[in-house]
Amino acid sequence: MQSKLSDIELIEQTLAGNQAAYADLVKRHQRFGFTLAMRFAKNREDAEEIAQDSFIKAYRSLATFQRQSKFTTWLYSIVYTTAMTFLRKKRVDTDSIDDENIYIQLENSSSSHDINSAENKSRSYYLNQAITQLMPDDAAIITLFYMGEQSLDEISKTLGIEASTVKVKLFRARQRLKEKLEHNLKHEVKELI
Amino acid sequence: MNTIEERLWNYIDGTCSEVDRKAVDILIAQDEVYRRKYQELLALNQAFSKMELDEPSMAFTYNVMEAIRAEHAQQPLKAGINKRIIKSISGFFIVSIALLLIMAISSVHTGGAANISVHLPDNLRLPDIKNYLNKPVLEGFLFFDIVLGLFLFDAWLRRKNVSKQV
Repeated sequence: MQSKLSDIELIEQTLAGNQAAYADLVKRHQRFGFTLAMRFAKNREDAEEIAQDSFIKAYRSLATFQRQSKFTTWLYSIVYTTAMTFLRKKRVDTDSIDDENIYIQLENSSSSHDINSAENKSRSYYLNQAITQLMPDDAAIITLFYMGEQSLDEISKTLGIEASTVKVKLFRARQRLKEKLEHNLKHEVKELI
Repeated sequence: MNTIEERLWNYIDGTCSEVDRKAVDILIAQDEVYRRKYQELLALNQAFSKMELDEPSMAFTYNVMEAIRAEHAQQPLKAGINKRIIKSISGFFIVSIALLLIMAISSVHTGGAANISVHLPDNLRLPDIKNYLNKPVLEGFLFFDIVLGLFLFDAWLRRKNVSKQV
């Protein structure tokens, strides 16, 4: 059972030495932290490593958290930087041509799926599948905006870019996601939405 | 330049200006193309909002807390010592030394200093300090002090640098 205390109250208790309070905070935000990490890592093992590292880093720097922004905004920025460091360590350049090829391959492999099986699969499955075909930055912005319920300003703090840039990036990311859905599902996209 | 889609997304997100919002309201009501596009994007927006989060492994929280506990266990003793204990011990010694000094100074009889007579044994010869504290010795001592000071300063800067990186 999760705690009914607010994030700030749990942080205060953690800083006072109550580690169980931090466990509650982890339980509360682990799903989103993990989902955001999945947008970069593309496999569960790496995503878990990124998300766990992020929570450990957040614990270490909890005393430096200034309560001017939401805890989630601060936490997601840690997940983002941890994921970027992780990708760099793995020598994966997200903007490289190689990466584009990976996404094109993913795209082709998914388009070869039997479209008739679409009826048996959920909307969420197809959306998640389309998101995994996006570039990590696009996927992260979509995830933060829709699943993390972050405003454009909050996303700009998380990613360290201007809010106006986030707005443009979000628009482009949604366009690309729509295109992926249309490509994957052909005519069934209208039924899906 | 705003495309129809960009304008409609801003309308759906609520990030457009009041004037633009009213203009889009009219366009949706009167223009068939706008209305269809709006309904399509609205449906898409709702679908995006209903996306489900991924579920990490059952041991996720346990693993995080275990890593934190392990980190605490590895914490060096120096970092684990309560600074207040150190301060109170040093405070005790400072107060004790100060009291001893006050007592010693107050018990000195300055007026009778001229009457003090010390009887040393005849065969005792005290070393003449002036012979030892010559210029080269003092210079050597100062040089050693400077080198030692530089070493300590270097060690302090290194520690400061490490703590910044952590």
